[in-house]
Amino acid sequence: MLAAVRSATLLGVQGSPLTVEVHVTHNGLPAFHVVGLPDESCRESRDRIRAALLSSNLQWPNRRVTVNLAGPSQRKGGSGMDLAIAVALLAANNDLPSESIADLGFIGELGLDGTVRRVPGVAPMVAAMGDVRPVVPMDGYLEASAATKQDVRVVSTLTELVMALRGDAPWPDPQIDSAAADPPPLPDLADVRGQAMARLALEVAAAGGHHLLFVGPPGSGKTMLAQRLPGLLPRLDTTTSLEATMVYSAIGATLPPTGLIVMPPLCAPHHSSSMVSLVGGGTANLRPGQISLAHGGVLFLDELGEFSPRVLDALRQPLEEGVIRVARARQHATLPARFLLVAATNPCPCGGGPPGSCECDDGARLRYLRRLSGPLLDRFDLRVGVDRPDVDEFLDGRGGEPTAVVARRVATARRRALAQRGLLNSAIPAAHIDEVVLLSDDAQRLLRTELERDRLTGRGYHRIRRVARTIADLDDDSPDIVGLGHVALAMQLRVHLGVSRPARVA
Amino acid sequence: MRRSTELQSAPEAVWAAALAEMDGVPASRLVAMLRLDPPSAVFAQLASERLLALPDDRDVGERWDRCVDSAIDVTWVGDDRYPTALANDVAPPPVLFFQGDLDVLSGRRAAVVGTRNATAAGRAAAFGFGADLASSGVHVISGLARGIDACAHRGALSDAAFDGRPIAVVGSGLDVVYPREHHNLWTQVAESGVLLSEYPPGSEPLPYHFPMRNRIVAALAEALVVVESRHRGGSLITVDEALLRGVHVLAVPGGIHNRSADGTNGLLRDGAAVAIDATDVLAAMAIDHRRLVPRGEPRPRPAAADLAVYQACCAAPHTMEGIALQTGQSLVQVAMSLARLDQVGWVAGTDGWYEAIGAPLR
Repeated sequence: MLAAVRSATLLGVQGSPLTVEVHVTHNGLPAFHVVGLPDESCRESRDRIRAALLSSNLQWPNRRVTVNLAGPSQRKGGSGMDLAIAVALLAANNDLPSESIADLGFIGELGLDGTVRRVPGVAPMVAAMGDVRPVVPMDGYLEASAATKQDVRVVSTLTELVMALRGDAPWPDPQIDSAAADPPPLPDLADVRGQAMARLALEVAAAGGHHLLFVGPPGSGKTMLAQRLPGLLPRLDTTTSLEATMVYSAIGATLPPTGLIVMPPLCAPHHSSSMVSLVGGGTANLRPGQISLAHGGVLFLDELGEFSPRVLDALRQPLEEGVIRVARARQHATLPARFLLVAATNPCPCGGGPPGSCECDDGARLRYLRRLSGPLLDRFDLRVGVDRPDVDEFLDGRGGEPTAVVARRVATARRRALAQRGLLNSAIPAAHIDEVVLLSDDAQRLLRTELERDRLTGRGYHRIRRVARTIADLDDDSPDIVGLGHVALAMQLRVHLGVSRPARVA
Repeated sequence: MRRSTELQSAPEAVWAAALAEMDGVPASRLVAMLRLDPPSAVFAQLASERLLALPDDRDVGERWDRCVDSAIDVTWVGDDRYPTALANDVAPPPVLFFQGDLDVLSGRRAAVVGTRNATAAGRAAAFGFGADLASSGVHVISGLARGIDACAHRGALSDAAFDGRPIAVVGSGLDVVYPREHHNLWTQVAESGVLLSEYPPGSEPLPYHFPMRNRIVAALAEALVVVESRHRGGSLITVDEALLRGVHVLAVPGGIHNRSADGTNGLLRDGAAVAIDATDVLAAMAIDHRRLVPRGEPRPRPAAADLAVYQACCAAPHTMEGIALQTGQSLVQVAMSLARLDQVGWVAGTDGWYEAIGAPLR
């Protein structure tokens, strides 16, 4: 007897649909074969399925069973096809009416006791199955319903599934454990004492989409500040939200109660991270890396200079394109990776401080800064010095503006930029910058002197104008012409990194 | 000892350059020998002792070619051109390589030295000393290191009208520019003044060269001004050498919390003379300081709106936040004031810290 059931497998963050075909025959010795490029975890499904069937008081066919995973010609891994194989097996064995499984697709792993468990990537797999009605594990309901317009059916045990398919019992209702999944509140900017410049930098970064580098000694609160950036960013739009959800589903992360990732995420990988962990990859199944997990949110790299230069250079292409294309000999995947990059570094090995307090000689400073690749440093529109807060400010107990207030300003500025120019200020192409960023006379004069004194390069000039535009957008009644104050402030948000002045600001 | 015929008739300078290559002979012995005999004879005598691996004739020739190619001249103890100030020194360099005009060394000379990790205020001060001394006809000696040294020379060369003739003593071969970013300054000094080194062309700037270099700076100076120095900084070696030779030592006072001024403030506590401006140096050298042309304040007076920010920067270096906090102004206002003050040179920023530079506003 033959049965075919629809399911899907995961590649990167994308599902690919496949059909599980099961053939059961009396001819030949009893056996169980899985064909169609299964990997080791797929072959193990035989033992799980047998145990699950027996635990659920169902019959294990003592015959010659051939399972074919008909789909993309690539190696299929994971235990997500357990459920589909079990259902096909039961149908081929005439334990289930074959018409009951016609327009259903099954995703889930089986436990030895017959429970149906969640697997990574339910959302993309459900999305890939298209117009079939997905049957997923109970705790995969949220992501599945976020990924498809179809009615999602859930089961928690094999017995339940068989009863529902035979029509002996109704489909179980999804149970949402909303209390447990409430997201922890985001840290608030009001907790930060002092640090006026760094706050401003966060606000400008959020409003203009400018990448941000904090330069400061240890203990100056760089991490604390970076953690508060996602709170300033707007909620993810529908497309980004869905893309982010796919990524989180693909690594099997817990999703928020709505099933969709709507809050901008924050990823802070340690500086010992490997290139694959950061950009994604792996040989068996292309897993998304940290930059994809930060999609729509913030990627925070603390101690930027300690990251391996190869890892940092790998960030350049995704920073440019918003996606990362990972290719291996057998397979390739395009993973979303549009994020705001925030990094932190010490100015020199000793941590720096006021002029004259640094203990490093120029050579040591140069060697330290050389670790930060020039092309990557170039991506940071904002480079702001952070210092330990003034003691008086620290002790007087007053926090600054709370996140909600700043976020409102950021939202207004973003709306303004998108309405007037159709893109965020960080994305204004150099060719159009003269048309869209008009400078007042004194602002123009200031930049001219800086250029003449060789303290500003052409690229730096463009970047300062973009940032100045964002600062102007953040004003209450945003002027059309960028003034001296905006440009002066933008220059302050671009500290010099090097050995000694006068030198070029890249 | 083989000697090719062409080298037999070579000028003494060739043999002097070859002597500088020999590591094994104590400098004092070389000096004593050179006072009596010309370099060729000294070379022959050392060769006859066979104690040392001497460079062979081809090497001697090649090395001399290298000097000639780089326009490096050489003088030695006992040579007519050898500077008198060094000839009478306790530890003169036996052989001295130079580029430029040795006559500069017969003028009045003051050394301006200091730390490489200078603050913006320190650099501006060094520049001022360099410019004022040059305009009074005093040749500025320094070491062409980063920071104070370079600024002193830049000051001395800042106005063509002074005809500043700086003297630089370096710790590498004269064709090995170190630090590399001083290439222009290096050639400027050689063109308008003189560049000295006791190390033969091609020598790397090894760490132990610099204390040796400092002794020559001290030996050449009539007065030594230390602008900024760390506690136990390299400039203090120059000071020790200067004290050994009875050279006037002056120190520029710095803020008590400025680590770059720890060494200079320590010197003042130990009794060094105070150098507030170039008149102090001129007085120490018994030069009529009235001929110092007061440099007027070329910078336009800051606008009233920027005064508060300028004054905040005067006391100590501050970050922008610090200034905003002190003056009670908004970040935008402070940024604008700093931009205006920085443009005309009232303040300078380093790594986000701002400080007032130059003569204070009166």
